[in-house]
Amino acid sequence: MSEHPSVPALTGREWAKSKLFLDMSFGDYLKSLVTPGNFVVGLILAVGLPVIAYRFAYGLGASTNLSQTTPWGIWIGFDMLAGVALAAGGYTLASSVYIFGLEKYHPVVRPAVLTGLLGYMFAALGLAADLGRPWNLPVPFFLSWGGPSVMFEIAWCVGLYLTVLSMEFLPPVFEWLDWPRARMWAVRMTIGLTVFGVMLSTLHQSSLGALFLMAPTKLHPLWYSPFIPAYFFISSIAAGLSMVIVESALSHRAFQSRTDHRVDLDGIALGLARGASIVLFAYFFVKLQGVADGGRWALLTTGYGYWFQVEMFGFILLPSLLFAYGARHNRVTLVRWTAAWTVLGVVVNRLNVSIIAMNWNAPERYIPSWMEVVVSITLVTLGVTAFRWIVNRMPVLRELPEYRDSASH
Amino acid sequence: MIPHDILTLYSAKMLEYGIAVLFLLLFIPFWRYVQGPAKAPALAPARSRVPAVRAAEWFLTPADRLFHRGHAWLKGGDGGLVTVGLDDFAAKLVGPMSRLALPAVGATVGQGEPGWRLTAPDGRSVDMLSPVDGTVVQLNPALAASPDLAERDPYGDGWLMKVRPSRLRANKVNLMADRAVRRWMEDAAAALRGHVAPGLGALAQDGGVPVAGMARAIDPDGWDRLAATLLLTAEEAPDA
Repeated sequence: MSEHPSVPALTGREWAKSKLFLDMSFGDYLKSLVTPGNFVVGLILAVGLPVIAYRFAYGLGASTNLSQTTPWGIWIGFDMLAGVALAAGGYTLASSVYIFGLEKYHPVVRPAVLTGLLGYMFAALGLAADLGRPWNLPVPFFLSWGGPSVMFEIAWCVGLYLTVLSMEFLPPVFEWLDWPRARMWAVRMTIGLTVFGVMLSTLHQSSLGALFLMAPTKLHPLWYSPFIPAYFFISSIAAGLSMVIVESALSHRAFQSRTDHRVDLDGIALGLARGASIVLFAYFFVKLQGVADGGRWALLTTGYGYWFQVEMFGFILLPSLLFAYGARHNRVTLVRWTAAWTVLGVVVNRLNVSIIAMNWNAPERYIPSWMEVVVSITLVTLGVTAFRWIVNRMPVLRELPEYRDSASH
Repeated sequence: MIPHDILTLYSAKMLEYGIAVLFLLLFIPFWRYVQGPAKAPALAPARSRVPAVRAAEWFLTPADRLFHRGHAWLKGGDGGLVTVGLDDFAAKLVGPMSRLALPAVGATVGQGEPGWRLTAPDGRSVDMLSPVDGTVVQLNPALAASPDLAERDPYGDGWLMKVRPSRLRANKVNLMADRAVRRWMEDAAAALRGHVAPGLGALAQDGGVPVAGMARAIDPDGWDRLAATLLLTAEEAPDA
């Protein structure tokens, strides 16, 4: 049925023009880059990249406020823990569409997988910045397995899942390159990759929480719980769904010319909101169970307790109810704002567990250094820039007509 | 004195069970609330502000139907019977009808073979293909009084007939659902546009809604030939 594009022999210059420079001459392309948004990006990178270089040249002591008491800062709490949770849209959407057959959500799978891929990539970069000896990163893979360590499992899972996400994203790459045969093979791997991806995500999303099982004395009792792996896993689903709602709304607005306008984005957002609402509702009660299990009721009226309640009621129960109301009454704008609020809530939760409620009774408080903040902002900026670069060139927010009839990914 | 009754010993456990039960009790109404009021299968999902999800281009294609290339639909139903009708494209293409010549009850129809004939007020008519093999067991009684019901409400009250299928599984291979329907309908709309302004491609899509009886609007003299071409019943299907 489908007509695959014949591949006319392009000269190197033509190829670069059509594939890289958006059909503009190199000069025009450079001119098109002069925009206020790119100016801000340039400014961030002009400060951020030298700071990253400084960190690798002079080490953690010179660039961060980390210490023996607080070995994990925002590069772990924000870039790694929150980044990985927000990248969960990749496995939630891929499994919804390819395993559970919810075809309605097909139009947002590619952007979700791309967001996941970039999220993990930049989480891994954040990790590399955080490791005292990043050149030892291959050790758990090749030299010393350290099987009983949670770190070992996370290293393997994240490494493998990054590979899986890269392979899941191959079909749009091959479509962009006009390689129909390679694309066909990549599409055939979809279901296997999706299953593998769900397994890996289940493992490491929860293991990231399991890391904190080792710190019962350091983490505040309201956040410490034997259920913390389950908390991390469940909240990652809500984070992933919310992130897809936010990201699809933003990218369909920002990349209008790259978008398939027939997609019923509102219907998709409302459907995802239903899912997120149910997940958050269950998450609230599972968290409550943790408080009951540890007998922590008395702590709820302390300073940390009030902050815990803000998280419980403000960032879990409230968005759950707002999603439910929005989905039932077709309030798409409400649903989108709630999704953004939920994304913020998951970031707050990861920061609570890893930084704010960590070392709560130690005399020394960790405040990130300006360089840590700059590196985190730089990594997020690089992620957004990479997303823009890819969406402007590859068929992510739309289907190419010549591939629509074939088994699509 | 330490009380020994089980409820005191396990007060934390009791609380946990209590929370679990509370969750389950609340979850049921919450789930029902989130899912919204029970709806009859709608022609098009009503949630979208732009009801476009099933409206491939101009034409509605409800999700609960299977479609045949000849622009007829089929819906499974009670007692092994299937309901058959014409789709929105055919309805808008032909427009108001003065007569619908349906096969008699008991007659057999074959998938891909002419199944019924639509006649317009100007006396010209066009055949349509049956989407299924089987025996006609009932005709829509409402059509006898008002044949244009098939045009006004092709997926609802304007259904044509109920058929007892003889080889539904094999027939389904040639029927379309879901995304395939959308793509096919888009192609059909594109083919129609080609007739509106041959050689000009996609110019006619600038915001208009198709008029009832599009074929006649495009070609008043030869509309029946055009309709037959698009409905795949032309004698010599000229390449559109």
